[in-house]
Amino acid sequence: MPLDTSTYSLALLRLDGRRWNELRRMHAQISTQPTADGSSYLEMGNTKVICTVAGPAEGRKAGGGGGTGGDANAMVQVEIGIAGFSGVDRKRRARGDKRTSEMQLTVANAFSNTLFTHLYPHSTILITLYVLSQDGSLLAACLNASTLALIDAGVPMSDYIAACTSGSTSSYNNNDEAADPLLDLNGTEEQELPFLTVGTLGAGEKVSVLVMESRVQAMRLEGMLAVGVDGCKQVKEILDDVVRRHGKRILLERVKI
Amino acid sequence: MPPSTLLSPSELSYLHSSLSLDLPIRPDARSPTTFRPLVAETDLLPTTNGSARLCFADGSEAIVGVKAEVERTIGASSTSSDVFARGEDGDGDTKMQSAEEEMNEERRRLARGKGQDSWIEVTIDMPGFARDDDGVVVFLAQMLQEGLVADEGLRDRLWIGWGWHWRIYVDILLLTTPNSYPLPLLSLTTHLALLATRLPAPISRIDEDPLFNDDWDAAEPLYPPSGSAHASKPPFTLLVISVEDNIFFDPSREELAVADAVCAVTVGTIDAPVSSGKRREGTPKLRLLSLRIIDPPARLAAATSGTEAEDDQGAWRPARGGMKRAVVGKMVKVVLEVGGVGEEVMTGLEGFHDG
Repeated sequence: MPLDTSTYSLALLRLDGRRWNELRRMHAQISTQPTADGSSYLEMGNTKVICTVAGPAEGRKAGGGGGTGGDANAMVQVEIGIAGFSGVDRKRRARGDKRTSEMQLTVANAFSNTLFTHLYPHSTILITLYVLSQDGSLLAACLNASTLALIDAGVPMSDYIAACTSGSTSSYNNNDEAADPLLDLNGTEEQELPFLTVGTLGAGEKVSVLVMESRVQAMRLEGMLAVGVDGCKQVKEILDDVVRRHGKRILLERVKI
Repeated sequence: MPPSTLLSPSELSYLHSSLSLDLPIRPDARSPTTFRPLVAETDLLPTTNGSARLCFADGSEAIVGVKAEVERTIGASSTSSDVFARGEDGDGDTKMQSAEEEMNEERRRLARGKGQDSWIEVTIDMPGFARDDDGVVVFLAQMLQEGLVADEGLRDRLWIGWGWHWRIYVDILLLTTPNSYPLPLLSLTTHLALLATRLPAPISRIDEDPLFNDDWDAAEPLYPPSGSAHASKPPFTLLVISVEDNIFFDPSREELAVADAVCAVTVGTIDAPVSSGKRREGTPKLRLLSLRIIDPPARLAAATSGTEAEDDQGAWRPARGGMKRAVVGKMVKVVLEVGGVGEEVMTGLEGFHDG
């Protein structure tokens, strides 16, 4: 589906009416699954992800999916299940899908460096992500949902991993001088424009995840990254708010009893 | 996957004897036909034609998304006699509204018997627990699909016109580890998702290439709602256990462990206009689609325990032999009778969809 980006230069409004630096509606809940050690539900626009965390527990030795960590540290395993009904067209992904396993590995790497895995030797932390609906920023949504679920599970970590995407209005071919960077691309924009996913540690400038799969002029990269890191700050605020509200609710329930 | 409990043989024996009393006592003080509370919601996913989420009391949860695609019917030939059979029956003075209704009525009439089983596809996804081609997964999906295709009404409603039909994909996502028999959970979630499913309203005639009304508010429900002339409901499967002469619905793990027999009862509606005066207005009549006896977990345990001496009181011993005819009959009657469990479940689930 070709996306008409030419109107952007006229009103500086994107297809869904946002400006270049606006996030989509982000909504999250934690402790949604009573049977899991930690769980969360996250919406970024129309991208909806459920995350459950099992562990830290004695691990399964032969496990599929992306896994990292040695014997002295806890192993972080990630499984991503993309539901057949999640896209516009129904598409069933096989278990060993390349894109999925790459995302699994990215999430596993990010968290094995952020979690205090040395506290749990010989154990496994299994993060399972269910993608219910996808409309861009899939990896970012997975990272944010995992952060929340891991917090719910009480796994110590140095800081939140907050992630979002950023892109550029100029495609690789038409070298447009006045191209603007864009924050938080939706599904249609992602198909058309170059974009990257950036995840930062907390609200600082420490980048822990940076994934880019499309071609872009090198000079655009700096602007995109700056906008992305800025977006991560906003995302971190939202995630933090979710955690604090949940904590407050639990404390109030305790008081009542 | 037999559910395991932490109960000792004497505790199991106690449970078994309290369930086989004349007035049985269940551990959670429910009556034999009472269900545990469940949480459900419908229409939660924007990219599906219908979706539902359902959580059982034991924490297990499933999400079902139904997607429909228009597909060319292979090998369909529009026999000219059928096309012209409708003739020129439209009088000049019929209003616009009734002309549309007439077209729908005609489509319904012509579609009769044209539906095919392959237009409905059920898949079950249990990420992390079972492979896609695992025997259990395939078996469960087949059982659910069997119930859906048993309803001729549904198949026929998928027919759009000569050479075109809807194909519906029912994708079931099980979110939690299946700790007991997941069939009722999957089946009830599928039931809810199908209740919420709507298909775009066709505006083309049956002999044209399909064209649909792009207003989602005008979309027609896949299952005509109760109250309409052709009301029908998706099938669902219930798990029923028997202990001696008693039957119990919605068994908990512990009850399953001492069951003499475990049955999966699939119930559907009869696709016929509601006529009898006894029934409530627009409630479709129920019929039994299948009754399957599932090996109770006790029997699996018994296979390993070997032969032992008869009756020593206090220690529980799994029952041997089959199910009594009278018990099966009672089971079917309680499910199907007017105001019975089947109707109760159906109206209960409809409440989730409306509210």
